[in-house]
Amino acid sequence: MRNSRIHFPFSLVSFCTGVVGVLLVLYIGLIAVVMSYATVTVEFSHSVRNDEAAVAMLEGRYLANVASITTTDYAIAGYALPIAKIFVPAKSVTALR
Amino acid sequence: MRAQFRSRIRLVLAFLVLVALGILLRLYFVQIVNGEEYSLKADRQFASVSSGLFDRGSIYFIRKDGALISAATLATGFLVAINPQILTDPESAYFAISSAASSTISHDGFMAATAKKSQVYIEVAHRLSESAGQTLSAKAIPGVQVLRERWRQYPGVSLASQSIGIVSYGSSDTLAGRTGLEAVYDGTLSRSGDSLYKNFFAELFSNVGNLLVNAKDAREGDIITTIEPEVQTRLSNNVAKLNQKYSSKESGGIIMNPSTGAIIAIASYPTYDGNNLQTVDPKLLGNPFVEHVYEFGSIMKPITMAAALDAGVVTTGTTYKDTGCITVNTRQICNWDLKARGVIPMRQIIMQSLNVGASWLADQLGQEKFRDYFTRLFGEKTGIDLPNETGSLLTNLRKSQQVGYDTAAFGQGIAVTPVQMIRALGALANGGEMVQPHLVSAIRLNSGIERTLEWKKKIKVFSATSTRDTVEMMSALNDEILYGGKAKIPTMSVAVKTGTSQLTSPNGGYYTDRFFHSFVGFFPAYNPRFIILLYTNDPKGVQYASETLDTTFLDIVHFLIDYYGVPPDRGFQETS
Repeated sequence: MRNSRIHFPFSLVSFCTGVVGVLLVLYIGLIAVVMSYATVTVEFSHSVRNDEAAVAMLEGRYLANVASITTTDYAIAGYALPIAKIFVPAKSVTALR
Repeated sequence: MRAQFRSRIRLVLAFLVLVALGILLRLYFVQIVNGEEYSLKADRQFASVSSGLFDRGSIYFIRKDGALISAATLATGFLVAINPQILTDPESAYFAISSAASSTISHDGFMAATAKKSQVYIEVAHRLSESAGQTLSAKAIPGVQVLRERWRQYPGVSLASQSIGIVSYGSSDTLAGRTGLEAVYDGTLSRSGDSLYKNFFAELFSNVGNLLVNAKDAREGDIITTIEPEVQTRLSNNVAKLNQKYSSKESGGIIMNPSTGAIIAIASYPTYDGNNLQTVDPKLLGNPFVEHVYEFGSIMKPITMAAALDAGVVTTGTTYKDTGCITVNTRQICNWDLKARGVIPMRQIIMQSLNVGASWLADQLGQEKFRDYFTRLFGEKTGIDLPNETGSLLTNLRKSQQVGYDTAAFGQGIAVTPVQMIRALGALANGGEMVQPHLVSAIRLNSGIERTLEWKKKIKVFSATSTRDTVEMMSALNDEILYGGKAKIPTMSVAVKTGTSQLTSPNGGYYTDRFFHSFVGFFPAYNPRFIILLYTNDPKGVQYASETLDTTFLDIVHFLIDYYGVPPDRGFQETS
């Protein structure tokens, strides 16, 4: 009777061991990548939010300055009201640029 | 020997397969079946560190040059928590914390917290600045934790606060928008917060689609309002000064683009600071522009006039005999000065603000037509993007007594919200169409796409001819009557109308010595870019709106002309 079993040119045990090793390395690598990605995402997110908060502080200062200018009473600050107002055509403004 | 080795190998392989299956099964339960529970557990364990930080989209003002300025954003800093089981020297810890934090719990409260030895985490101070938090953290006091914290910040402090709204816990245990735009656009502004917990494997197993297209990115984003911060500041300041000057109960103002319904500024007084809600009167959290109704008085007369002209019951050349007082359904209606004018043309009804004339117009219109116009103008809510909008009170127009129509013609006996009023008056400014007032122009999604909101709903109420005729009368009022003609701007046509109404008494009827003042104006009168509505409720020591609101109105007009560089619409001959 002829032996019909397939014969591999390498040891099946060695092959399986190799595959398990590669998969293990891949798995650990993937976990490392995911963890690193999560860390970077968190740090980036925090960094963006911190920058936004810093911008908000500047915006707060800008709005406070606008409010300060708006509430300034120029008469009290020593400025006199104009004696007369002269309305000029918009075209002359363009010409002065 | 060889067979024995093979069977051993098979045994080892079977064992490995079983272990692998066991791990897979475990992973399935951990990540998918119980994933949410573990996520919550992780949240609880790290409640105050990075992952649990409050997150929310921003609300922006938009400057005239298109620059975005935050109206509501997030601030970052630190909170301080103690672990009573570890804390050994409460006195020195309290001293260190209270010197770093601007507000902390009382000494007694702190000592009571340290006595709770069964607990491991008690928060004792919030909102420490970056430097204060770093300094306290550097001291490394045993039992004192300094943790990162984020909170809602309103850089404009009280700027448009009632319309921007607030974020609070309310009756639930989650921070959410409760009033104003914060509430209306909560779905866009709120963040689910699970993005940092996203497990690649779980996502892969459960929802591949989410990895490729994130539905949240198409929903979550920032809000861009139509409010211009410098105009808003000007209006807020003027409204506050007005209210303080006349010791009014409340005052308010709206500046709107009458062609689009975009609200450029909206301010009321008293108001509140959204950054410090501990001491705020809860009544102030509501929005008077949509939640309160007022009898606006004579600024209703141009609307009555436009309705009469549009219906064709009068023309600009029509005259009527003004007797000074009339009696309708046993009630007397008089002009503000009780004087008769004799036979006068229509424009004098607006220019001299004649109640008898407005009543005469209501008579000419007839009850059915009058009701039809006023129901179209005020019968429905405006649909503005603010919460809790209330409807108008038009009960008098459902009765058959003529006096209800005659008084409504000059703005008494019917009550509408300020937003309804400016929308109706806007129809006079833009050729007869009511636009939809709105505060948000666009949503900037997290995906990077900016979605422009459509506010195209328009209701045609008056013909262009009738509104133009009415605007001419209002413009003449500004040029000839207001400030004795000194309010006239040679290079700019401005249409105005003042309104003074008696306040209703809780005992029925009206006060004879308490008033509601209103003022409306728009410019350039025949192609307006801005319509301004001002009001002050129960000002002391003055009777007429022309005494209280004209200065404020004119200041805003001149400011807007300068700020936007509005070109002249009259007064100059073109030269080559």
